[in-house]
Amino acid sequence: MITLAHFIVLGAVLFCIAVAGVFINRKNVIVLLMAIELMLLAVNINFVAFSRFLGDVQGQVFVFFILTVAAAESAIGLAILTLLFRNRSTINVAEIDSMKG
Amino acid sequence: MNPQLIQLIMFYAFGAVAVGAALAVITLRNSVHAVLSLVLTFFSVACIWLLAEAEFLAIALIVVYVGAVMVLFLFVVMMLDIKMEQVREGFARYLPVGIIVALVMLAEMIGMIGVRAMGLHVMGEDPAAAAGLSNTAWLGHALYTQFLLPFEIAAIILTVGIVAAVALTLRHRGGVRHQSAAEQVAVDPRTRMRIVKMASETMPTETVPPVAPSQETSP
Amino acid sequence: MFDQFWTHLLLPVLYILAIVVPLILAVAMFVYWERKVIGWMHVRMGPNKIGPLGMLQAFADVVKLLIKEVILPTNSSKFLYYLAPMLALVPAFAAWAVVPFGEKMVLANVNAGVLYLLAMTSLGVYGIILAGWASNSRYALLGAMRSAAQVISYELAMGMSVVCVLVLTGSLNLTDIVHAQAGNKGFFDWYWLPLLPVFIIYFISGVAETNRAPFDVAEGESEIVAGFHVEYSGSAFAIFFLAEYASMILVSFLAAIFFMGGWLSPLQGWITADAPRWINWIWTGGFIWLFIKAFLFSFLFLWFRASFPRYRYDQIMRLGWKVFIPITIVWVFVAGLMKYYGWVTIGTGA
Repeated sequence: MITLAHFIVLGAVLFCIAVAGVFINRKNVIVLLMAIELMLLAVNINFVAFSRFLGDVQGQVFVFFILTVAAAESAIGLAILTLLFRNRSTINVAEIDSMKG
Repeated sequence: MNPQLIQLIMFYAFGAVAVGAALAVITLRNSVHAVLSLVLTFFSVACIWLLAEAEFLAIALIVVYVGAVMVLFLFVVMMLDIKMEQVREGFARYLPVGIIVALVMLAEMIGMIGVRAMGLHVMGEDPAAAAGLSNTAWLGHALYTQFLLPFEIAAIILTVGIVAAVALTLRHRGGVRHQSAAEQVAVDPRTRMRIVKMASETMPTETVPPVAPSQETSP
Repeated sequence: MFDQFWTHLLLPVLYILAIVVPLILAVAMFVYWERKVIGWMHVRMGPNKIGPLGMLQAFADVVKLLIKEVILPTNSSKFLYYLAPMLALVPAFAAWAVVPFGEKMVLANVNAGVLYLLAMTSLGVYGIILAGWASNSRYALLGAMRSAAQVISYELAMGMSVVCVLVLTGSLNLTDIVHAQAGNKGFFDWYWLPLLPVFIIYFISGVAETNRAPFDVAEGESEIVAGFHVEYSGSAFAIFFLAEYASMILVSFLAAIFFMGGWLSPLQGWITADAPRWINWIWTGGFIWLFIKAFLFSFLFLWFRASFPRYRYDQIMRLGWKVFIPITIVWVFVAGLMKYYGWVTIGTGA
């Protein structure tokens, strides 16, 4: 039978994969954005699991808000990305250094 | 087979797919394939939420993420002409660091949360069913009473998000002829066309060129 | 052991087959009917050679498509190229799981049926996008981009019009939605009357969502050859075809369920006579009514195609974003007022 540990371990594994993704894809903004989405998803798994096991609705309500904010965040992130590509024709993070002081 | 065992097998199956797809997201060379792997991750996690009887959030995850946000990602990835070799430089260099950091973090997290203690919590009765509601109704009651203000704020955030995204990417290019659909639709014949009333003319018979008389004789 | 095997595995598979097989046959006959109807509207004969009145034409086409070679374009992404038709087909068929054909005639009577439908319709766009990208062709990519933007835009209008139905019903279950339209005022009890603008928007959005004429810019043959499936041939093309027609029939059924009372009879409450069962359904309702309504709606698809010239792409987007979405949002408020002040009777009892 499924226990709380199952959900939390799954969340932790997905979160760590996302962190590794941030480390090894340091140049590619698109993969960075996707890694952030993955982290939020891992957190959401924990919220849903706790809500289910504690019988409290607040966890699921919070997931609802995270989904909302993350959707807005990725929309703006992708808008900035297209703008960046239009102006600099690159999405390499290392080359976006015009404000280096 | 008892249903709980089937549930456990399903959990492992979906969990394995989710983890495998997440690994593919961060390692695949082709961005389109990476986005599709992320879609698969979201999909399997939605299935896992269904196992936890969070049916509204599971379907909302599919509608919002798989149906909209990921399509946006695909759009951007397909439209931008990204040179992968340049973006992927340093991949091999950072790979060991990434793996070590991830593994250490994972070990710390699992050690901290105490898997053994958490393993004692067996999934019991669905709290929504205990309250005599469906999951959607259960969530909706909380959302529209206790959390009404955050709900409205979320709506404002989404509005700001759409305005910001449009404002950022809107571009007016000069030297291009644009059609304004609103103007085209609002055309009024009275401003474009003048109808002149005049008496109908009758054609004078003299000016008609005489028809050549037919050569044949009628029978 | 066999008992469990029967109830948990074999019976559901039989139920699924009982939906899918007639659906595929319906698609075949719908294609024939489309060619015939458009032929009549153009004052032509339509197919009339194979079988009686040409009725086997669609099956002959299927056999032809299945034995043709599936050509893989050079430099295309092979895996995605073959995956795309499947991704188009699966949501179009999976959505049928929650469609109620009559009282208790539903595969899965789930509580969140409408949400499930929204999820499935939003997945259909992946087949199109991937087909366009994997084909490695300009035309295919252009068609895919057009189609994806159009489908996502019209999904909003479609979702908002369904929200009006939900506001009045107070349930996400499709069977409940039909029950809420029961009453004794005949077809005036159905939702098309209080939700008239939304009903029209729902159906037009359904036409746009399935990329059909006059919104068929995704495959507009005179502009971009055949859009996203220009490179597909043989059975892969047949699968796209099947998915498109299955979604058209789905939209017709959903329009009937959401706004036209599903399997309820338009004479409900007007006749209360007792009659044998094979006559009784005419006023008590039955699945035949749902099929008649869905048939009429699917006929509209063909009528539109024969009558209207294709929209320009910017006009399509303008219609979706600047006309349909504002109207549906306003009507959600109106539906809320109707519900609050009890202007609409919901169900027989209330």
